[in-house]
Amino acid sequence: MSALRSYRLLVTWQARRMKMFLPLGIMVQALFALGIVAGYPLLFPTIDKTTILYLATGGPVIALVTMGLVAVPQMVSAAKTEGTLAYMRTLPIPRVVYLLADMTVWLTVVLPGVALAVVIGSIRFGLDLQISPLVIPAVILVALTATSIGYALASLVPPMVANMASQVLVVFILMFSPLNFPADRLPGWLAAIHSVLPIQAMGEVMRGTLASNSFPITVGAFALLGVWCVASFAATSVVLTRRA
Amino acid sequence: MLLEVEELTKRYKRGATRANDSVNLTVDAGQVYGLLGHNGAGKTTLVNQIVGLIRPDAGSIWIDGRDVVADPGFARRACSIQPQSQVPIDGLTPRQAIETLGRLRGGRPDSVRERSARLVEALDLGEWLDVDGARLSGGVKRLVSFCMAAVEPGKVVILDEPTNDVDPVRRRLLWAQVRSLADEGAAVLLVTHNVIEAERSVDRLAILDHGRVLTEGTTAELKAGIADELRLELVLDPETGRIETPQFTGPHTVVGNRIVATVPARMAGEAATWARDLRRAGRIEEFSLAPATLEDAYVALVGSTSATATPTAVSSEEEIDVRAA
Repeated sequence: MSALRSYRLLVTWQARRMKMFLPLGIMVQALFALGIVAGYPLLFPTIDKTTILYLATGGPVIALVTMGLVAVPQMVSAAKTEGTLAYMRTLPIPRVVYLLADMTVWLTVVLPGVALAVVIGSIRFGLDLQISPLVIPAVILVALTATSIGYALASLVPPMVANMASQVLVVFILMFSPLNFPADRLPGWLAAIHSVLPIQAMGEVMRGTLASNSFPITVGAFALLGVWCVASFAATSVVLTRRA
Repeated sequence: MLLEVEELTKRYKRGATRANDSVNLTVDAGQVYGLLGHNGAGKTTLVNQIVGLIRPDAGSIWIDGRDVVADPGFARRACSIQPQSQVPIDGLTPRQAIETLGRLRGGRPDSVRERSARLVEALDLGEWLDVDGARLSGGVKRLVSFCMAAVEPGKVVILDEPTNDVDPVRRRLLWAQVRSLADEGAAVLLVTHNVIEAERSVDRLAILDHGRVLTEGTTAELKAGIADELRLELVLDPETGRIETPQFTGPHTVVGNRIVATVPARMAGEAATWARDLRRAGRIEEFSLAPATLEDAYVALVGSTSATATPTAVSSEEEIDVRAA
Protein backbone atom coordinates (compact mmCIF):
# COMPACT_ATOMS: atom_id res chain seq x y z
CA MET A 1 0.00 0.00 0.00
CA SER A 2 2.96 2.30 0.38
CA ALA A 3 3.16 2.69 -3.41
CA LEU A 4 -0.43 3.91 -3.40
CA ARG A 5 0.33 6.36 -0.62
CA SER A 6 3.41 7.63 -2.46
CA TYR A 7 1.28 8.03 -5.58
CA ARG A 8 -1.32 10.07 -3.70
CA LEU A 9 1.31 12.27 -2.06
CA LEU A 10 3.14 12.84 -5.33
CA VAL A 11 -0.04 13.77 -7.21
CA THR A 12 -0.78 16.34 -4.51
CA TRP A 13 2.83 17.55 -4.60
CA GLN A 14 2.87 17.99 -8.37
CA ALA A 15 -0.59 19.55 -8.46
CA ARG A 16 0.51 22.10 -5.86
CA ARG A 17 3.76 22.77 -7.69
CA MET A 18 1.77 23.42 -10.85
CA LYS A 19 -1.17 25.18 -9.25
CA MET A 20 -0.43 28.46 -11.02
CA PHE A 21 -0.11 26.63 -14.30
CA LEU A 22 -3.01 24.19 -13.92
CA PRO A 23 -5.98 26.52 -14.64
CA LEU A 24 -4.03 28.18 -17.44
CA GLY A 25 -2.97 24.83 -18.88
CA ILE A 26 -6.54 23.53 -18.76
CA MET A 27 -7.75 26.68 -20.54
CA VAL A 28 -5.07 26.54 -23.21
CA GLN A 29 -5.72 22.87 -23.87
CA ALA A 30 -9.47 23.53 -24.11
CA LEU A 31 -8.87 26.44 -26.50
CA PHE A 32 -6.56 24.28 -28.56
CA ALA A 33 -9.06 21.46 -28.90
CA LEU A 34 -11.83 23.94 -29.62
CA GLY A 35 -9.74 25.74 -32.21
CA ILE A 36 -9.31 22.56 -34.18
CA VAL A 37 -12.98 21.62 -34.04
CA ALA A 38 -14.35 25.12 -34.68
CA GLY A 39 -11.50 26.79 -36.56
CA TYR A 40 -10.44 24.16 -39.10
CA PRO A 41 -13.81 24.14 -40.91
CA LEU A 42 -13.01 27.73 -41.98
CA LEU A 43 -10.43 26.23 -44.34
CA PHE A 44 -13.14 24.55 -46.37
CA PRO A 45 -15.81 26.35 -48.40
CA THR A 46 -18.11 23.34 -48.27
CA ILE A 47 -17.76 20.63 -45.76
CA ASP A 48 -19.05 17.07 -45.93
CA LYS A 49 -20.02 14.81 -43.09
CA THR A 50 -16.84 12.72 -43.16
CA THR A 51 -14.68 15.82 -42.90
CA ILE A 52 -16.78 17.06 -40.01
CA LEU A 53 -16.45 13.75 -38.24
CA TYR A 54 -12.69 13.74 -38.73
CA LEU A 55 -12.44 17.24 -37.30
CA ALA A 56 -14.75 16.57 -34.36
CA THR A 57 -12.85 13.43 -33.36
CA GLY A 58 -9.39 14.65 -34.42
CA GLY A 59 -9.49 17.69 -32.09
CA PRO A 60 -9.48 15.65 -28.87
CA VAL A 61 -6.68 13.38 -30.16
CA ILE A 62 -4.53 16.34 -31.15
CA ALA A 63 -5.04 17.85 -27.69
CA LEU A 64 -3.92 14.59 -26.06
CA VAL A 65 -0.98 14.03 -28.39
CA THR A 66 0.38 17.57 -28.23
CA MET A 67 0.11 17.49 -24.45
CA GLY A 68 2.26 14.36 -24.33
CA LEU A 69 4.72 15.09 -27.09
CA VAL A 70 5.04 18.87 -26.79
CA ALA A 71 4.05 20.15 -23.34
CA VAL A 72 5.46 17.19 -21.41
CA PRO A 73 8.99 17.38 -22.89
CA GLN A 74 9.04 21.09 -22.15
CA MET A 75 7.95 20.60 -18.55
CA VAL A 76 10.27 17.64 -17.96
CA SER A 77 13.17 19.63 -19.43
CA ALA A 78 12.36 22.44 -17.01
CA ALA A 79 12.24 19.96 -14.11
CA LYS A 80 15.59 18.61 -15.23
CA THR A 81 17.14 22.07 -15.42
CA GLU A 82 15.87 23.20 -12.03
CA GLY A 83 16.93 19.96 -10.33
CA THR A 84 13.51 18.54 -9.42
CA LEU A 85 14.11 15.37 -11.39
CA ALA A 86 17.44 14.59 -9.70
CA TYR A 87 15.97 15.35 -6.28
CA MET A 88 12.98 13.08 -6.87
CA ARG A 89 15.39 10.34 -7.92
CA THR A 90 17.00 10.42 -4.46
CA LEU A 91 13.67 9.68 -2.75
CA PRO A 92 12.57 6.16 -1.83
CA ILE A 93 9.76 6.10 -4.40
CA PRO A 94 9.40 3.55 -7.20
CA ARG A 95 10.10 5.35 -10.48
CA VAL A 96 6.92 3.99 -12.02
CA VAL A 97 4.90 5.60 -9.24
CA TYR A 98 6.58 8.94 -9.88
CA LEU A 99 5.88 8.63 -13.59
CA LEU A 100 2.23 7.67 -13.04
CA ALA A 101 1.71 10.57 -10.62
CA ASP A 102 3.10 13.03 -13.17
CA MET A 103 0.90 11.57 -15.88
CA THR A 104 -2.17 11.83 -13.69
CA VAL A 105 -1.62 15.55 -13.27
CA TRP A 106 -1.07 16.06 -17.00
CA LEU A 107 -4.16 14.03 -17.82
CA THR A 108 -6.12 16.32 -15.50
CA VAL A 109 -4.87 19.28 -17.51
CA VAL A 110 -5.83 17.85 -20.86
CA LEU A 111 -9.09 15.98 -20.13
CA PRO A 112 -11.46 18.93 -19.71
CA GLY A 113 -10.34 20.24 -23.10
CA VAL A 114 -10.86 16.85 -24.69
CA ALA A 115 -14.38 16.55 -23.28
CA LEU A 116 -15.24 20.13 -24.22
CA ALA A 117 -14.05 19.61 -27.79
CA VAL A 118 -16.27 16.55 -28.15
CA VAL A 119 -19.31 18.35 -26.75
CA ILE A 120 -18.82 21.56 -28.75
CA GLY A 121 -18.04 19.58 -31.91
CA SER A 122 -21.21 17.56 -31.71
CA ILE A 123 -23.35 20.63 -30.95
CA ARG A 124 -21.72 22.84 -33.60
CA PHE A 125 -22.16 20.28 -36.36
CA GLY A 126 -25.31 18.65 -35.01
CA LEU A 127 -23.52 15.31 -34.77
CA ASP A 128 -25.03 12.32 -33.07
CA LEU A 129 -21.83 10.72 -31.75
CA GLN A 130 -22.21 7.21 -30.46
CA ILE A 131 -19.58 7.11 -27.75
CA SER A 132 -18.41 3.62 -26.82
CA PRO A 133 -17.37 2.80 -23.24
CA LEU A 134 -14.05 1.79 -24.78
CA VAL A 135 -13.32 5.51 -25.02
CA ILE A 136 -11.99 5.40 -21.44
CA PRO A 137 -9.23 2.83 -22.07
CA ALA A 138 -8.60 4.57 -25.42
CA VAL A 139 -8.02 7.97 -23.80
CA ILE A 140 -5.80 6.43 -21.11
CA LEU A 141 -3.81 4.47 -23.67
CA VAL A 142 -3.31 7.50 -25.91
CA ALA A 143 -2.36 9.76 -23.00
CA LEU A 144 0.00 7.20 -21.44
CA THR A 145 1.75 6.53 -24.73
CA ALA A 146 2.10 10.17 -25.70
CA THR A 147 3.37 11.26 -22.28
CA SER A 148 5.77 8.29 -22.03
CA ILE A 149 7.31 9.14 -25.38
CA GLY A 150 7.50 12.82 -24.42
CA TYR A 151 9.05 11.92 -21.08
CA ALA A 152 11.63 9.61 -22.64
CA LEU A 153 12.52 12.28 -25.21
CA ALA A 154 13.06 14.92 -22.53
CA SER A 155 15.01 12.54 -20.29
CA LEU A 156 17.37 11.40 -23.04
CA VAL A 157 18.36 14.65 -24.75
CA PRO A 158 19.51 18.06 -23.44
CA PRO A 159 16.69 20.55 -22.65
CA MET A 160 17.42 22.75 -25.68
CA VAL A 161 17.20 19.81 -28.06
CA ALA A 162 14.02 18.54 -26.40
CA ASN A 163 12.36 21.94 -26.86
CA MET A 164 13.36 22.11 -30.53
CA ALA A 165 12.22 18.54 -31.13
CA SER A 166 8.85 19.30 -29.59
CA GLN A 167 8.40 22.27 -31.95
CA VAL A 168 9.10 20.05 -34.95
CA LEU A 169 6.67 17.46 -33.58
CA VAL A 170 3.88 20.06 -33.42
CA VAL A 171 4.14 20.68 -37.14
CA PHE A 172 4.39 16.99 -37.90
CA ILE A 173 1.34 16.16 -35.78
CA LEU A 174 -0.85 19.04 -36.97
CA MET A 175 -0.04 18.98 -40.67
CA PHE A 176 1.34 15.61 -41.63
CA SER A 177 -0.47 13.10 -39.43
CA PRO A 178 -3.75 11.43 -40.40
CA LEU A 179 -5.73 12.75 -37.44
CA ASN A 180 -7.94 15.36 -39.09
CA PHE A 181 -8.05 13.55 -42.43
CA PRO A 182 -7.98 9.95 -43.70
CA ALA A 183 -4.61 8.25 -44.06
CA ASP A 184 -5.18 7.54 -47.77
CA ARG A 185 -4.57 11.22 -48.55
CA LEU A 186 -0.93 10.88 -47.50
CA PRO A 187 1.79 10.07 -50.03
CA GLY A 188 2.67 6.36 -49.97
CA TRP A 189 5.97 6.68 -48.14
CA LEU A 190 4.51 8.85 -45.40
CA ALA A 191 1.54 6.50 -45.04
CA ALA A 192 4.02 3.63 -44.65
CA ILE A 193 5.84 5.50 -41.88
CA HIS A 194 2.55 6.28 -40.16
CA SER A 195 1.49 2.65 -40.29
CA VAL A 196 4.18 1.85 -37.70
CA LEU A 197 4.20 5.12 -35.72
CA PRO A 198 1.64 5.42 -32.92
CA ILE A 199 -0.03 8.69 -34.05
CA GLN A 200 -2.34 7.17 -36.65
CA ALA A 201 -3.34 4.42 -34.23
CA MET A 202 -4.11 7.08 -31.63
CA GLY A 203 -6.45 8.73 -34.10
CA GLU A 204 -8.10 5.43 -34.99
CA VAL A 205 -8.83 4.29 -31.46
CA MET A 206 -10.25 7.69 -30.52
CA ARG A 207 -12.35 7.97 -33.68
CA GLY A 208 -13.63 4.43 -33.32
CA THR A 209 -14.66 4.91 -29.71
CA LEU A 210 -16.01 8.49 -30.02
CA ALA A 211 -18.06 7.84 -33.19
CA SER A 212 -18.58 4.10 -33.12
CA ASN A 213 -21.51 4.43 -35.51
CA SER A 214 -19.27 5.88 -38.23
CA PHE A 215 -15.80 4.40 -37.67
CA PRO A 216 -14.70 0.87 -36.83
CA ILE A 217 -13.00 0.04 -33.55
CA THR A 218 -9.96 -1.77 -34.87
CA VAL A 219 -8.15 -4.31 -32.72
CA GLY A 220 -5.01 -3.71 -34.77
CA ALA A 221 -4.84 -0.04 -33.77
CA PHE A 222 -5.36 -0.90 -30.09
CA ALA A 223 -2.66 -3.56 -30.34
CA LEU A 224 -0.12 -1.29 -32.04
CA LEU A 225 -0.81 1.43 -29.52
CA GLY A 226 -0.51 -1.09 -26.69
CA VAL A 227 2.93 -2.11 -27.92
CA TRP A 228 4.05 1.53 -28.15
CA CYS A 229 2.60 2.25 -24.72
CA VAL A 230 4.37 -0.64 -22.99
CA ALA A 231 7.64 -0.01 -24.84
CA SER A 232 7.74 3.73 -24.21
CA PHE A 233 6.65 3.39 -20.59
CA ALA A 234 9.34 0.76 -20.01
CA ALA A 235 11.95 2.89 -21.78
CA THR A 236 11.05 5.90 -19.66
CA SER A 237 11.22 3.87 -16.45
CA VAL A 238 14.65 2.59 -17.47
CA VAL A 239 15.83 6.11 -18.32
CA LEU A 240 14.63 7.35 -14.93
CA THR A 241 16.33 4.49 -13.08
CA ARG A 242 19.56 4.63 -15.06
CA ARG A 243 22.72 5.57 -13.17
CA ALA A 244 25.25 7.71 -14.99
CA MET B 1 30.17 1.08 10.73
CA LEU B 2 26.99 2.42 9.21
CA LEU B 3 28.52 3.81 6.02
CA GLU B 4 31.60 2.26 4.46
CA VAL B 5 33.16 3.45 1.23
CA GLU B 6 36.00 1.30 -0.08
CA GLU B 7 38.37 2.10 -2.93
CA LEU B 8 35.67 4.03 -4.74
CA THR B 9 36.70 5.19 -8.19
CA LYS B 10 34.69 7.10 -10.78
CA ARG B 11 35.65 8.78 -14.00
CA TYR B 12 33.02 10.43 -16.17
CA LYS B 13 34.63 9.71 -19.52
CA ARG B 14 37.12 7.10 -20.60
CA GLY B 15 40.58 8.45 -20.13
CA ALA B 16 39.36 11.52 -18.27
CA THR B 17 40.79 12.39 -14.87
CA ARG B 18 39.21 10.54 -11.99
CA ALA B 19 36.44 12.44 -10.21
CA ASN B 20 36.93 9.96 -7.36
CA ASP B 21 40.15 8.02 -7.04
CA SER B 22 40.26 5.08 -4.59
CA VAL B 23 38.29 6.90 -1.92
CA ASN B 24 38.03 5.18 1.47
CA LEU B 25 35.99 6.42 4.39
CA THR B 26 33.75 5.13 7.14
CA VAL B 27 31.08 6.92 9.12
CA ASP B 28 29.58 5.48 12.27
CA ALA B 29 26.15 6.02 13.78
CA GLY B 30 26.17 9.12 15.96
CA GLN B 31 29.01 10.71 14.01
CA VAL B 32 29.12 13.95 12.05
CA TYR B 33 31.67 13.34 9.32
CA GLY B 34 32.96 16.27 7.30
CA LEU B 35 33.93 15.99 3.66
CA LEU B 36 36.06 18.99 2.78
CA GLY B 37 37.58 20.09 -0.45
CA HIS B 38 37.80 22.70 -3.18
CA ASN B 39 35.09 23.10 -5.77
CA GLY B 40 35.51 20.16 -8.13
CA ALA B 41 37.39 18.03 -5.59
CA GLY B 42 34.89 15.19 -6.10
CA LYS B 43 32.66 15.67 -3.06
CA THR B 44 29.31 15.72 -4.86
CA THR B 45 30.37 12.85 -7.14
CA LEU B 46 31.00 10.78 -4.03
CA VAL B 47 27.60 11.70 -2.57
CA ASN B 48 25.79 10.89 -5.82
CA GLN B 49 27.34 7.43 -5.83
CA ILE B 50 26.27 6.79 -2.25
CA VAL B 51 22.62 7.65 -3.01
CA GLY B 52 22.65 5.65 -6.24
CA LEU B 53 22.42 8.44 -8.82
CA ILE B 54 25.80 7.51 -10.29
CA ARG B 55 27.34 4.07 -10.68
CA PRO B 56 30.94 3.74 -9.53
CA ASP B 57 33.57 2.36 -11.93
CA ALA B 58 35.24 0.43 -9.13
CA GLY B 59 35.06 0.00 -5.38
CA SER B 60 32.16 -0.61 -3.05
CA ILE B 61 29.72 1.23 -0.81
CA TRP B 62 28.10 -0.47 2.17
CA ILE B 63 25.29 0.96 4.25
CA ASP B 64 24.43 -0.97 7.39
CA GLY B 65 26.19 -4.00 5.93
CA ARG B 66 24.37 -3.92 2.59
CA ASP B 67 26.02 -3.44 -0.77
CA VAL B 68 24.21 -0.39 -2.16
CA VAL B 69 26.00 -0.40 -5.50
CA ALA B 70 24.08 -3.60 -6.18
CA ASP B 71 20.93 -2.34 -4.45
CA PRO B 72 20.51 1.42 -5.02
CA GLY B 73 16.88 1.18 -3.90
CA PHE B 74 18.12 0.36 -0.40
CA ALA B 75 20.44 3.37 -0.53
CA ARG B 76 17.48 5.65 -1.21
CA ARG B 77 15.57 4.22 1.72
CA ALA B 78 18.60 4.39 4.01
CA CYS B 79 19.82 7.88 3.05
CA SER B 80 18.06 11.19 3.30
CA ILE B 81 19.78 13.95 1.44
CA GLN B 82 19.87 17.71 1.29
CA PRO B 83 21.28 18.37 -2.18
CA GLN B 84 23.70 21.16 -2.96
CA SER B 85 21.31 22.77 -5.44
CA GLN B 86 18.12 24.33 -4.16
CA VAL B 87 15.15 21.96 -4.05
CA PRO B 88 12.43 23.63 -6.11
CA ILE B 89 9.37 24.10 -3.89
CA ASP B 90 7.57 26.88 -5.76
CA GLY B 91 3.86 26.44 -5.22
CA LEU B 92 4.35 24.58 -1.93
CA THR B 93 4.62 26.08 1.52
CA PRO B 94 7.47 24.93 3.79
CA ARG B 95 4.90 23.10 5.92
CA GLN B 96 3.58 21.18 2.91
CA ALA B 97 7.05 20.44 1.55
CA ILE B 98 8.49 19.20 4.85
CA GLU B 99 5.45 17.12 5.83
CA THR B 100 5.10 15.56 2.36
CA LEU B 101 8.77 14.53 2.41
CA GLY B 102 8.32 13.00 5.85
CA ARG B 103 5.32 11.00 4.60
CA LEU B 104 7.12 10.00 1.38
CA ARG B 105 9.96 8.68 3.51
CA GLY B 106 7.45 6.50 5.32
CA GLY B 107 6.71 8.60 8.41
CA ARG B 108 3.30 8.42 10.12
CA PRO B 109 1.22 11.59 9.70
CA ASP B 110 1.11 12.58 13.37
CA SER B 111 4.78 11.95 14.07
CA VAL B 112 5.80 13.75 10.88
CA ARG B 113 3.67 16.74 11.85
CA GLU B 114 5.13 16.79 15.33
CA ARG B 115 8.74 16.46 14.18
CA SER B 116 8.27 19.02 11.43
CA ALA B 117 6.91 21.52 13.96
CA ARG B 118 9.91 20.86 16.21
CA LEU B 119 12.41 21.48 13.42
CA VAL B 120 10.64 24.63 12.27
CA GLU B 121 10.69 25.98 15.80
CA ALA B 122 14.32 25.02 16.37
CA LEU B 123 15.39 26.83 13.19
CA ASP B 124 13.09 29.79 13.86
CA LEU B 125 11.23 29.39 10.56
CA GLY B 126 7.73 29.90 11.98
CA GLU B 127 6.99 33.14 10.15
CA TRP B 128 7.47 31.46 6.75
CA LEU B 129 5.69 28.21 7.55
CA ASP B 130 2.72 28.94 5.31
CA VAL B 131 4.34 31.20 2.72
CA ASP B 132 4.56 29.98 -0.88
CA GLY B 133 8.03 28.64 -1.71
CA ALA B 134 8.31 31.02 -4.66
CA ARG B 135 8.41 33.95 -2.22
CA LEU B 136 11.09 32.55 0.12
CA SER B 137 14.67 33.81 0.25
CA GLY B 138 17.54 31.50 -0.69
CA GLY B 139 18.57 31.01 2.93
CA VAL B 140 15.07 30.08 4.08
CA LYS B 141 14.72 27.66 1.17
CA ARG B 142 18.02 26.06 2.16
CA LEU B 143 16.76 25.59 5.72
CA VAL B 144 13.49 24.13 4.46
CA SER B 145 15.50 21.73 2.35
CA PHE B 146 17.43 20.72 5.49
CA CYS B 147 14.13 20.09 7.29
CA MET B 148 13.00 17.93 4.35
CA ALA B 149 16.09 15.76 4.87
CA ALA B 150 15.78 15.74 8.66
CA VAL B 151 12.04 15.30 9.21
CA GLU B 152 12.15 11.54 8.70
CA PRO B 153 15.90 11.01 8.60
CA GLY B 154 17.53 7.96 7.06
CA LYS B 155 20.20 5.94 8.82
CA VAL B 156 22.60 8.08 6.82
CA VAL B 157 21.87 11.79 6.46
CA ILE B 158 23.80 13.58 3.72
CA LEU B 159 24.00 17.36 3.84
CA ASP B 160 25.65 19.02 0.85
CA GLU B 161 26.67 22.59 1.74
CA PRO B 162 23.73 23.03 4.16
CA THR B 163 24.68 26.51 5.35
CA ASN B 164 24.98 28.26 1.98
CA ASP B 165 22.94 31.49 1.96
CA VAL B 166 21.89 31.00 5.60
CA ASP B 167 22.18 33.94 8.00
CA PRO B 168 24.74 33.76 10.86
CA VAL B 169 22.19 33.33 13.64
CA ARG B 170 20.30 30.52 11.95
CA ARG B 171 23.59 28.85 10.97
CA ARG B 172 24.20 28.23 14.64
CA LEU B 173 20.69 26.88 15.07
CA LEU B 174 21.28 24.65 12.05
CA TRP B 175 24.54 23.25 13.44
CA ALA B 176 22.72 22.37 16.66
CA GLN B 177 20.17 20.42 14.63
CA VAL B 178 22.91 18.65 12.66
CA ARG B 179 24.41 17.58 15.96
CA SER B 180 21.10 16.33 17.30
CA LEU B 181 20.56 14.25 14.14
CA ALA B 182 23.78 12.43 15.01
CA ASP B 183 22.84 12.22 18.68
CA GLU B 184 19.62 10.50 17.64
CA GLY B 185 21.70 7.83 15.92
CA ALA B 186 22.15 8.94 12.32
CA ALA B 187 25.48 8.88 10.52
CA VAL B 188 25.75 12.43 9.17
CA LEU B 189 27.91 13.05 6.13
CA LEU B 190 28.50 16.77 5.83
CA VAL B 191 29.88 18.12 2.57
CA THR B 192 31.32 21.60 2.75
CA HIS B 193 34.10 23.90 1.70
CA ASN B 194 33.53 26.04 4.75
CA VAL B 195 36.49 24.89 6.81
CA ILE B 196 35.96 27.13 9.82
CA GLU B 197 32.40 25.94 10.36
CA ALA B 198 33.41 22.34 9.82
CA GLU B 199 36.04 22.61 12.53
CA ARG B 200 33.39 23.51 15.08
CA SER B 201 30.87 20.90 13.98
CA VAL B 202 32.39 17.62 12.85
CA ASP B 203 33.71 14.64 14.76
CA ARG B 204 35.93 13.40 11.95
CA LEU B 205 36.69 14.63 8.50
CA ALA B 206 38.37 13.82 5.24
CA ILE B 207 39.98 16.31 2.90
CA LEU B 208 39.38 15.54 -0.74
CA ASP B 209 41.55 16.96 -3.48
CA HIS B 210 41.42 16.03 -7.15
CA GLY B 211 39.28 13.04 -6.29
CA ARG B 212 41.65 11.60 -3.68
CA VAL B 213 41.46 11.58 0.10
CA LEU B 214 44.48 13.61 1.13
CA THR B 215 44.03 12.98 4.81
CA GLU B 216 41.45 11.72 7.23
CA GLY B 217 40.98 11.95 10.99
CA THR B 218 39.66 14.06 13.84
CA THR B 219 40.21 17.81 13.68
CA ALA B 220 42.87 17.47 16.38
CA GLU B 221 44.67 14.80 14.35
CA LEU B 222 44.57 16.92 11.24
CA LYS B 223 45.91 19.90 13.12
CA ALA B 224 48.70 17.82 14.68
CA GLY B 225 50.99 18.67 11.78
CA ILE B 226 50.70 22.35 12.62
CA ALA B 227 50.33 21.94 16.40
CA ASP B 228 53.48 23.97 17.02
CA GLU B 229 52.34 26.81 14.84
CA LEU B 230 50.40 29.98 15.44
CA ARG B 231 48.32 31.96 13.03
CA LEU B 232 49.30 35.59 12.59
CA GLU B 233 46.77 37.77 10.86
CA LEU B 234 47.47 41.39 9.92
CA VAL B 235 44.96 43.94 8.69
CA LEU B 236 46.91 46.46 6.64
CA ASP B 237 46.28 50.16 6.65
CA PRO B 238 44.93 51.02 3.17
CA GLU B 239 47.77 53.54 2.72
CA THR B 240 50.43 50.92 3.47
CA GLY B 241 52.36 49.41 0.61
CA ARG B 242 53.95 45.99 0.79
CA ILE B 243 55.06 44.59 4.10
CA GLU B 244 58.13 42.39 4.21
CA THR B 245 57.36 39.47 6.49
CA PRO B 246 60.21 38.40 8.75
CA GLN B 247 62.16 35.19 8.24
CA PHE B 248 60.39 33.32 11.02
CA THR B 249 56.95 33.42 9.35
CA GLY B 250 55.85 30.54 7.17
CA PRO B 251 54.17 30.85 3.76
CA HIS B 252 51.54 33.56 3.80
CA THR B 253 48.37 34.36 1.88
CA VAL B 254 47.16 37.84 1.00
CA VAL B 255 43.57 38.77 0.33
CA GLY B 256 42.61 42.40 0.02
CA ASN B 257 44.17 44.16 2.99
CA ARG B 258 44.66 41.01 5.07
CA ILE B 259 47.78 38.91 5.40
CA VAL B 260 47.66 35.51 7.10
CA ALA B 261 50.89 33.67 7.92
CA THR B 262 51.94 30.87 10.21
CA VAL B 263 54.50 31.47 12.93
CA PRO B 264 56.31 28.81 15.00
CA ALA B 265 54.97 28.87 18.55
CA ARG B 266 58.46 29.46 20.01
CA MET B 267 58.63 32.72 18.03
CA ALA B 268 55.35 34.03 19.49
CA GLY B 269 57.10 36.79 21.43
CA GLU B 270 59.04 38.04 18.41
CA ALA B 271 55.97 37.91 16.19
CA ALA B 272 53.89 39.88 18.69
CA THR B 273 56.61 42.51 19.08
CA TRP B 274 57.02 42.84 15.33
CA ALA B 275 53.27 43.23 14.77
CA ARG B 276 52.91 45.68 17.66
CA ASP B 277 55.68 47.83 16.20
CA LEU B 278 53.91 47.83 12.83
CA ARG B 279 50.71 48.99 14.47
CA ARG B 280 52.50 51.71 16.40
CA ALA B 281 54.03 52.88 13.16
CA GLY B 282 50.51 53.02 11.70
CA ARG B 283 51.29 50.51 8.97
CA ILE B 284 48.64 48.01 10.09
CA GLU B 285 45.23 48.62 11.62
CA GLU B 286 45.17 45.52 13.79
CA PHE B 287 46.62 42.07 14.20
CA SER B 288 45.85 38.82 15.91
CA LEU B 289 48.01 35.93 17.00
CA ALA B 290 46.13 32.73 17.74
CA PRO B 291 46.48 28.94 17.62
CA ALA B 292 46.55 27.68 14.03
CA THR B 293 43.14 26.55 12.79
CA LEU B 294 41.91 23.68 10.70
CA GLU B 295 41.89 26.14 7.84
CA ASP B 296 45.64 26.61 8.16
CA ALA B 297 46.09 22.84 8.14
CA TYR B 298 43.83 22.66 5.10
CA VAL B 299 45.76 25.33 3.22
CA ALA B 300 49.03 23.68 4.13
CA LEU B 301 47.77 20.34 2.80
CA VAL B 302 45.78 21.29 -0.26
CA GLY B 303 47.97 24.22 -1.14
CA SER B 304 51.11 22.14 -1.26
CA THR B 305 49.62 19.40 -3.42
CA SER B 306 47.69 21.50 -5.91
CA ALA B 307 50.02 22.25 -8.74
CA THR B 308 47.50 24.44 -10.54
CA ALA B 309 45.49 25.85 -7.68
CA THR B 310 46.79 28.71 -5.60
CA PRO B 311 44.88 28.83 -2.36
CA THR B 312 43.78 32.20 -1.15
CA ALA B 313 42.07 32.98 2.07
CA VAL B 314 38.88 34.98 1.75
CA SER B 315 37.62 36.32 5.00
CA SER B 316 34.59 38.04 6.31
CA GLU B 317 33.37 38.45 9.85
CA GLU B 318 31.40 35.26 9.91
CA GLU B 319 33.15 32.81 7.68
CA ILE B 320 36.36 32.02 5.97
CA ASP B 321 36.13 29.97 2.82
CA VAL B 322 39.08 28.46 1.12
CA ARG B 323 38.81 28.18 -2.62
CA ALA B 324 40.92 27.45 -5.59
CA ALA B 325 41.86 30.71 -7.23
